[in-house]
Amino acid sequence: MIPSRLWALAALVALAVVPWVLARHQLSLLTDLLIAGLFAMSLDLIMGYTGMVSFGHAAYFGLGAYASALVLLHFAQPVPVALLAGALLAGAVAVPVGWFSTRATGIYFAMLTLAFAQFLYTVAYKWRDLTGGSDGIAGVPKTALFWGGPSLTSPHAFYFVVATCVVVSLFVCLAVVRSPFGRALQAIRENERRFTSLGRDPRPFKLVVFVIAAAFAGLAGALFAPFRGFASPEVMFWVFSGQGLMMVIMGGIGTLVGPILGAMLFILIQEVLSSYTEHWMIFTGVVFVLIVIFLPGGLVGTARRLGARA
Amino acid sequence: MANVLEQLLNALALAGLLFLVSAGLSLVFGILRVVNFAHGVFYMLGAYLGFTTVALSGWFWPALLVVPPVVGAIGALLESSTLRFIYRRPPIYQLLLTFGLALILEESIRVLYGPTAKGVDPPPLLQGAIDLGGVLYPRYRLFLVVLGCTVGVAVWLFLRKTRAGLVIRAVAQNSEMADCLGADVVRVRTLVFGAACALAGLGGVAAAPMTTAYLGMGIGVIVDAFVVVVIGGLGSIGGSMAGEEE
Amino acid sequence: MRRRDFLKISVAGAAGTSLLAAPRYLRAQGPIKIGMPAALSGSYAQYGIQAKRAADLFSKDIKAKGILGRPVEFIFEDTAGDPAAAVRKAQKLVEKDGVKFLTGVALSSEALAVSAKCPEWKVLFMSTINGAGALTAKSFHRYFFRVNTSGPMGARAISLYLAESPMKRFFALGSDYAWGRDSAASFTQQITAAKKDIVGSDYPPVGTKDFASYIAKIRQSRAEGVYLALPGQDATIYMKQAHQFGLNREVKPIMEILELENMKAVGDAMVGAIGSSRYPFTVDTPKNKEFVKRFHELHGMYPDMFDGETYEGLEWLAQVIAKAGTDDVEKVIEAWEDSTYEGLEGPFLMRKCDHQAVQPGFAVECVKDPKYPHPIPKILATYPGDKVTPKCRTEEFS
Repeated sequence: MIPSRLWALAALVALAVVPWVLARHQLSLLTDLLIAGLFAMSLDLIMGYTGMVSFGHAAYFGLGAYASALVLLHFAQPVPVALLAGALLAGAVAVPVGWFSTRATGIYFAMLTLAFAQFLYTVAYKWRDLTGGSDGIAGVPKTALFWGGPSLTSPHAFYFVVATCVVVSLFVCLAVVRSPFGRALQAIRENERRFTSLGRDPRPFKLVVFVIAAAFAGLAGALFAPFRGFASPEVMFWVFSGQGLMMVIMGGIGTLVGPILGAMLFILIQEVLSSYTEHWMIFTGVVFVLIVIFLPGGLVGTARRLGARA
Repeated sequence: MANVLEQLLNALALAGLLFLVSAGLSLVFGILRVVNFAHGVFYMLGAYLGFTTVALSGWFWPALLVVPPVVGAIGALLESSTLRFIYRRPPIYQLLLTFGLALILEESIRVLYGPTAKGVDPPPLLQGAIDLGGVLYPRYRLFLVVLGCTVGVAVWLFLRKTRAGLVIRAVAQNSEMADCLGADVVRVRTLVFGAACALAGLGGVAAAPMTTAYLGMGIGVIVDAFVVVVIGGLGSIGGSMAGEEE
Repeated sequence: MRRRDFLKISVAGAAGTSLLAAPRYLRAQGPIKIGMPAALSGSYAQYGIQAKRAADLFSKDIKAKGILGRPVEFIFEDTAGDPAAAVRKAQKLVEKDGVKFLTGVALSSEALAVSAKCPEWKVLFMSTINGAGALTAKSFHRYFFRVNTSGPMGARAISLYLAESPMKRFFALGSDYAWGRDSAASFTQQITAAKKDIVGSDYPPVGTKDFASYIAKIRQSRAEGVYLALPGQDATIYMKQAHQFGLNREVKPIMEILELENMKAVGDAMVGAIGSSRYPFTVDTPKNKEFVKRFHELHGMYPDMFDGETYEGLEWLAQVIAKAGTDDVEKVIEAWEDSTYEGLEGPFLMRKCDHQAVQPGFAVECVKDPKYPHPIPKILATYPGDKVTPKCRTEEFS
């Protein structure tokens, strides 16, 4: 228990100190990594703790991004309002989707979430008046932290907004999985039939966690839009959902912290490789195949196993 | 009326192609319990290898015979070098492994062939359109209808009437029991995976003259094939045939 | 072990750099860096690769003298056609590598996303590929320059040609996304203005594999020509299938852009198609002939549209930097506005009001020529820049 607390403290200190150490582009990259990490962590909440593999999680990231982009661009509200809007919209849309999808399990659940996500993607793609269609919404500003405040254009300022969101979200998610509600989720993951035979209906639990996960993905998307300055249908595409699954597996399924690290590793690999070769996808694929075969626990799972052995 | 006939033929021609892909996808799910994300890439590989064979030999027909076994062999090799080790894991791992394989294969094809689409001409016999009572209809598409039906019947006969088909069905139903009864489950899995890839490869060769061979054709077809397989019922070949009529 | 690897890599790196670098005396001021966040992989790789090919030839051509006596360095980053990756890579180029000029962006969605960030980064964005009319209209800002022919300009050129042709009835088929719909709308508007009829229109989704139902619809409409705004792959598939159905003989295919890539992929089935071209490599100017020759020597192929357009952009940019006497972005912008340049296809003028390069427009036809291994674009008509360029900061024509 103590070592993990020490780790957490060290990580917090590191997050607070690094902006003053890193060069500007490294800070941008780190911000990007944290946003992707938040997305992967939210996916782990349903995938790792409830055993529901969603193949459409990018849709909620995208909904958050669009909501945030529109709020910032058309209403010039402070950033927190946009973040709230993103999380709320994603969570709200997840209610009907979750209501239908949680009727199925396993691969059918994955396919249903994929189908809904593709539908949302198509809406974003076709509703040109609102979303700009395939061109997306560009020029999303980084507004202020509060009404009348200075805008968050400095890389440091925005980094701290993102870092705070990620840390707070992580603690909220940890609290969720350690609560009685979280225990129930893990019971469902381990054996849904036994859970049902104890006289409880798993579906409300699954629906609630699905909505929570979608809201956090929406928050990540809502951070993404002002950070990158745009939202476009690509962020809702199933490829991004698939990448989310890869991030979770790489980092360690069912660990919350692992997927954050997995997302960072995933993007770093792409970032480094794609600067050297156009054929980076081959190497990403190879790394990924190797991880799936040899490190099923991902980074964190493997580290824990090694730690336990030592 | 003429219009209806044309639409019907179009549906059948496309269904023929789609059947070749979804039959394999369904077979692999039924016997290996794997949702093979890389399946579409084997279709694409078939189209590109078809292009190469036609370019080298100057003939279309050899491609139809040579390419499927080659694609099947590549598929079997990949199965035995990666997938074989993780059948005991939860299904998500197999799905993600094939996701990785799809990335590798797709990019490898791009490296070898470049980003441009590769056109393949239909054989002279099947070029141009034929007059079907007032409807001009491409001969090549009629050929696709015939091909889809022939392969469909052949696969069905193989699974129902041969001993090998019996073993495969046994493994699909209960692999542990089949293992106990002396079926070499490991080998059956590899062969079935290879055969499914070969079917996809055949689909790819057959599609090339109609759609050209292009990057991304695998991803496009896999989404359609998933729909077909899910509608028809995962793991059943007959289901995958029926699913396309929709 | 690790140390030795590191040494190996740095030795190799040093050797690589010195091979690329210009003569030693030029190095004092450091190179002029041009960043290319281009789609080098994925479905749209052919456009990024064209930009890269043009840059390769340009660096070879400029190597001896450099710009302002300084060497030119291109830094490529692969975006895979994804706007999120494009912004990330562009930001890396600006913040880490210190580039002041961005170009080679392939897709309009990428360009809109990256361009919107350029005022914040204070770097110049030079479009040599992107067609979206909005870039020089609604989304215009002073750090953006478009050297290439835009989508509305292409539609304008072919409409002018059709206005004089005997054909009267047209069908518009545009891919169901921004470019396809905008092009079809622009074409419809101009054809109607020329007192001709649009007898039907449809919008197949991107990535359509079977055009049979559209082909039937076009045939039933009894149109004489079908206007096609389909992206590369879809156009290839459409042309193949229309040929198999025998439609191309009855209804003239008119393409929003008539690319060499399509001609190579489709082959003879493409012969007879007409359309607009951003840059047809068959333009008969001495400068272009020289360019095509050098390009063929280096790459073993004939230049496609964006090979030519990107090369022109780079050459013009070099000319403007030389004129400004510095690579300071603000000064380069001032020097570029209202400046002229002798391009491969003819005279270019950079309008100050919306930074759209005024340049000739072309209507071309795909023909066979025994001198070339594939069909080539034959120029049917050339229109002077003032006829094909829209009114300032709009997508409309007077």
